[in-house]
Amino acid sequence: MVDIKPYTIAVDDHHLEDLKTRLSLAKFPDELDQAGWDMGAPLADVKRLAKYWQDSYDWRNAEKELNKVPQFVTDIQCDGFEPLAIHFVHVRSKVQGAVPLLFIHGWPGHFEEVFRILTPLTEGGDGIKLPAFDVVAPSLPNFGFSEGPKKRGFAMEQYAETMNKLMLKLGYNEYVTQGGDWGCHISRALAHLYPKYCKATHLNYDSANPPEFLKNPILSIQHALTPYNPREQHGVVRSKWFDQEGRGYSQLQTTKPQTLGYGLADSPVACLAWIYEKLHDWTDSYPWMDDEVCTWVSIYWFSTAGPAASVRIYYEMIHNVDGRKDKIDQKKMRAWTPGVKLGFSHFPFDLQVRPSTWVRTLGNVVFEKEHNSGGHFAAWERPDDIVNDVREMFGKGGGAFGVVKGVTGYIS
Amino acid sequence: MGSNSKIEPYRIAVPDSMIDKLKKKLELVTFPEETSFTNDWNYGAPLDDIKRLTQTWKETYDWRSVEANLNEKLPQFTTRIGVEGHEDDLKIHFVHKKSEKPGAIPLLFCHGWPGSIIEVSKILPLLTSGATDDEPTFDVVAPSLPNFGFSQGTSKRGFGLRQQAEVCHKLMQRLGYGKYATQGGDWGFIITRTMGALYPEHVVASHLNLIVAHPPSLLSTPLLCLQYLLGWYTEQEKAGFQRVKWYNDEGNGYNRMQGTKPHTLGFALADSPVALLAWVYEKLVDWTDAYEWTDEELLTWISIYAFSEAGADASVRLYYEAAHQTKKEDGGVDVLKWNGKVPLGLSYFPKDVFVLPSSWGRTLGPVAFEKRHEKGGHFPSFEVPEALADDIKKMFAKKGGIGAKLAF
Repeated sequence: MVDIKPYTIAVDDHHLEDLKTRLSLAKFPDELDQAGWDMGAPLADVKRLAKYWQDSYDWRNAEKELNKVPQFVTDIQCDGFEPLAIHFVHVRSKVQGAVPLLFIHGWPGHFEEVFRILTPLTEGGDGIKLPAFDVVAPSLPNFGFSEGPKKRGFAMEQYAETMNKLMLKLGYNEYVTQGGDWGCHISRALAHLYPKYCKATHLNYDSANPPEFLKNPILSIQHALTPYNPREQHGVVRSKWFDQEGRGYSQLQTTKPQTLGYGLADSPVACLAWIYEKLHDWTDSYPWMDDEVCTWVSIYWFSTAGPAASVRIYYEMIHNVDGRKDKIDQKKMRAWTPGVKLGFSHFPFDLQVRPSTWVRTLGNVVFEKEHNSGGHFAAWERPDDIVNDVREMFGKGGGAFGVVKGVTGYIS
Repeated sequence: MGSNSKIEPYRIAVPDSMIDKLKKKLELVTFPEETSFTNDWNYGAPLDDIKRLTQTWKETYDWRSVEANLNEKLPQFTTRIGVEGHEDDLKIHFVHKKSEKPGAIPLLFCHGWPGSIIEVSKILPLLTSGATDDEPTFDVVAPSLPNFGFSQGTSKRGFGLRQQAEVCHKLMQRLGYGKYATQGGDWGFIITRTMGALYPEHVVASHLNLIVAHPPSLLSTPLLCLQYLLGWYTEQEKAGFQRVKWYNDEGNGYNRMQGTKPHTLGFALADSPVALLAWVYEKLVDWTDAYEWTDEELLTWISIYAFSEAGADASVRLYYEAAHQTKKEDGGVDVLKWNGKVPLGLSYFPKDVFVLPSSWGRTLGPVAFEKRHEKGGHFPSFEVPEALADDIKKMFAKKGGIGAKLAF
């Protein structure tokens, strides 16, 4: 394991100065009266944040705080691609029987999202009353402080391969995952491709289709006969909002990521607005602090591959650029995965909020919990809920207890 | 009529400070990093192209000379128009060229996005001359739509298609054209169709070069429907379907974005000229039929957005307003609904983004002229100006066209 090196985030001074210069020269659009949030990120908010980012925000201090969490880097190579330096957070519990948990972020998220659940999961579990976990939280290729591929076709299969190889390299022959957004999609890919290693996934995103009679007759009938509960009813409204008003970024990133990339690479204000709009729209009235937002966006702005690279994942997921057979596309990710235990935590202000019968078409659902508040970035907004749910799913009496061979999360 | 209704001559004169600020930003550009696929058109505007155009825009592109040329070729004016529920005195910039001959038909030329008045520049001389007695001739009016070009930007929500139509109609009235014909594609298609629905006594005919339409339905147009159901399409029409599929699968991300979160996008368009460059360049190439753009042409189309009165970010709001103004109570007009009062001319170009069968186009209204071309795309007035001008002239000819019915 000699090539796993400790990693310290250290953005160079030139990059910091360049950011301030760009912010000082920023040219802002005007805005329609009373546009609120309907038409996009409000001008006043973005201007305030840009000014804060330029004048008051202290990246070096944020960097110091981020670096308090143990981080590493190692090369991982996917078949047919060049090796990529993968950055990751890794904390091993003191409990010998700790369950290895891979936390996978999404877009526009990153490794920092694990910070609030890290200590509770690794130290909060004493292995006697509460289960303990080893936690690995990488920056996905093209995100955060990981490198990005220079070759096209780095799609779900490659993301899954990277994650799996990382866990194996760290000595975890079996493991479980936690994630939402791309964390959910990549977990689904892992469940399809590596059920030998990825034994269970706890997801906080409902990416699923309604049950079809021929495929899931019981669920289908259940779906037809049982009225939606209040959570599910609210979910219909929320999902409809997302489909009608919230998918522009996705349609664009899925088809023309390169065109979008120029703005994200050249203008920190563009990068800020693009991400901040999601931080607001996708959360449950979460009271973002300016400092928080600036750190969040800075990780994109200062990322190793650059902010333009992060959106390519959308294109590669949809398009089969090299004509590969059995591509892991959306249809595949929503197909039944045998042999992998699934858990779902539903949060009302997520983007796709689906009925229980829908997520049960994905596989053997051994854990499901409905929450009354929270949104898309659950580990950040509602860390206690995620921690409790993960403990419940994998702890004694939980549906996925003992799913990883040899470790139960408890002192034996 | 107060001072509000004055018509003032106009010359484009972008302030030095704007040009300097643009150059300064271009000097600071950071490009995305190169990969093996950053020049693959499938992913978007290629990196090498954008780098080259940025360099040219910064170093050698001469806006002042382009500006002088535009001012020379295009007689321009401004006037102020009040819009119900919005500004009382919106400054509207427009090109106005009267025909060299009498009996001219007043023609409103309505541009779209990412177009501008530049789209009228090549057909202007062709339409305002009229070489023979057989050929109709036109007085051409080509406005910069509010929020575009050198017209003022609007400040309130709800400035949608009805309001755009109102501005265009009032402009024609202001110029003394009680009755007039229209020509348009892109938003020009939608706005002129809105005008035909709202002002049928004034719009004598509409020529369209982007045709969006519903398939014929059994109830409204049974004979056309039969053709649709039996799949009797020509090879051209079948190729058209492929093009529409490409647009729906790969080409409408910008539309979805602009139609839902224009303000978020606006930050990129306002702050980064390279973002604007790429955003527009991609369309200028993807939507045309192998048109051999010169760098100067490309940069002029884009500079009109960069130097626009309202800012490039304002132009994309129309997509949001149109998408959300669909209910009748909001003033929405169904532009795809049959309008029997306004004869239509339909020119189909193979590389446009919607290329639908003729039977579908005929559900829009009575078709006085129709032609399917072998060449051309979304901007035919710029790509194949003679072909478009020819269609318009044939449509309005006295012999063989509707010219005899019109009292001009």
